[in-house]
Amino acid sequence: MAVSFSLRSSVLRRALSGAFYLHSQTPGAPAAATGLRCVSNAAPEQRKAAIIESTEEYRFVERLIPPSRIPAPPKHVGVTPSGWSPPADSPPPLPYMIRRSRMHNVPVYTDVTNGSRKLTLVRKVEGDIWALEKDVKQHLKEVTGEELPTQVNEVTMTLKVKGHFEKELKDWLVSKGF
Amino acid sequence: MSFPKKPGGKALDVLQNLPRISLANLRPEPGARQDGKRRGRGQHHGNRSGRGHKGERQKGTRPRLGFEGGNTPFYLAIPKYGFNEGHSRRPQYQPLSLKRLQYLIDLGRVDPTQPIDLTQLVNARGLTIQPLKRDYGVQLVDEGADIFAAKINIEVQRASEGAIAAIERNGGVITTSFYDPITLAILIKPVPFFMRGQPIPKRMLPGEDMLSYYTGAENRGYLADPEKIQQARLALAQKYGYVLPDISKDELYHMLAMRKDVRQIFFGLAPGWVVNMPEKKILKPTDEKLLKYYSS
Repeated sequence: MAVSFSLRSSVLRRALSGAFYLHSQTPGAPAAATGLRCVSNAAPEQRKAAIIESTEEYRFVERLIPPSRIPAPPKHVGVTPSGWSPPADSPPPLPYMIRRSRMHNVPVYTDVTNGSRKLTLVRKVEGDIWALEKDVKQHLKEVTGEELPTQVNEVTMTLKVKGHFEKELKDWLVSKGF
Repeated sequence: MSFPKKPGGKALDVLQNLPRISLANLRPEPGARQDGKRRGRGQHHGNRSGRGHKGERQKGTRPRLGFEGGNTPFYLAIPKYGFNEGHSRRPQYQPLSLKRLQYLIDLGRVDPTQPIDLTQLVNARGLTIQPLKRDYGVQLVDEGADIFAAKINIEVQRASEGAIAAIERNGGVITTSFYDPITLAILIKPVPFFMRGQPIPKRMLPGEDMLSYYTGAENRGYLADPEKIQQARLALAQKYGYVLPDISKDELYHMLAMRKDVRQIFFGLAPGWVVNMPEKKILKPTDEKLLKYYSS
């Protein structure tokens, strides 16, 4: 396998240079055969081609073009090695719904203002946001043992919780199936 | 199941039952607006107005920041040292953790069945490289080595030993190669380069300071001897305590063995070619001098 590597790189270079030289030699021969007179008035098909056009290698160029849309994640069963898990096939039977972000992640974010003010934000909520607030408060009480202050914004449909609880809320939402 | 968006909710119901809003019945929440501080206006904020008693404090003629009353100040007493000297000549490598790479593969943004290149990583929006800020490429970092589980053919500019071990443990191939800044800018954004209509340049070889890194087998350099690389793979497997899987028996062996030529920037495209994107054609030169230059 190691030997094949060195062979491969040298074979590649020889193949590339061979491809170049092959193209350059064939049009040159008939031009010399026509003779010395009127070389400048030689017929166009006997003049050496300046460039070669090809469309076979264009597939390599197509691989380099960046995609303009976010690709759909491939089908996984359960949690992936990186910790990401896909949403449930059918949304859970709850009065609220939390959509995934455009990068297919759970929309829970932490924020720090003025150096010490910690917040956790749950975005993209649809439905009964007050029921979600009640469930979140109850879950965090089980996990941490404290009643945490929360703020509901009905216009933007977001929920803010005081403190950093990104991991707990993300795990809880994924376990619910969102 | 989609819920119809009813922004406002209970607040909207309350609002609908109240009288019409006009400029006459608007008022801010009590405590929302606080008056600005004005000195010397009343019973206890008057007299000296919070400025103290006589001296420079009250007169407002204190000396400059950093002055320590006459002794040599801190910022002059400490001698200069060239911590940041030559900072603009130091190559930087954007770190990429194995955890992030695994995340990109899991979400389908990076295709593990094709050789992974810096172009593929940037196209997947996995990381941002700024060649104008002395970035010379990407470096693979150990973080996430224990959760990494993907068999890939990856080409980076620098890699830590733990990262190399994690990739080879899963049956993958890793190579470190050098890109000079102009070539790097082309590699990151190939489409704007193709639109320029210039021929693909040949990649330059590393300078003397980096040559030793890229000719070393422990770093899986692209200029290193393949037999030494195989020995280094075995040695690393012994050091980290895993069995080195045999790649030659793999079904994706052809893809894993794909490597770029020393002067090549893109897979499948040789230096000297011009890419015509609107007409989807590639133009190749035929002049002997050009061919000799581009294949040297």
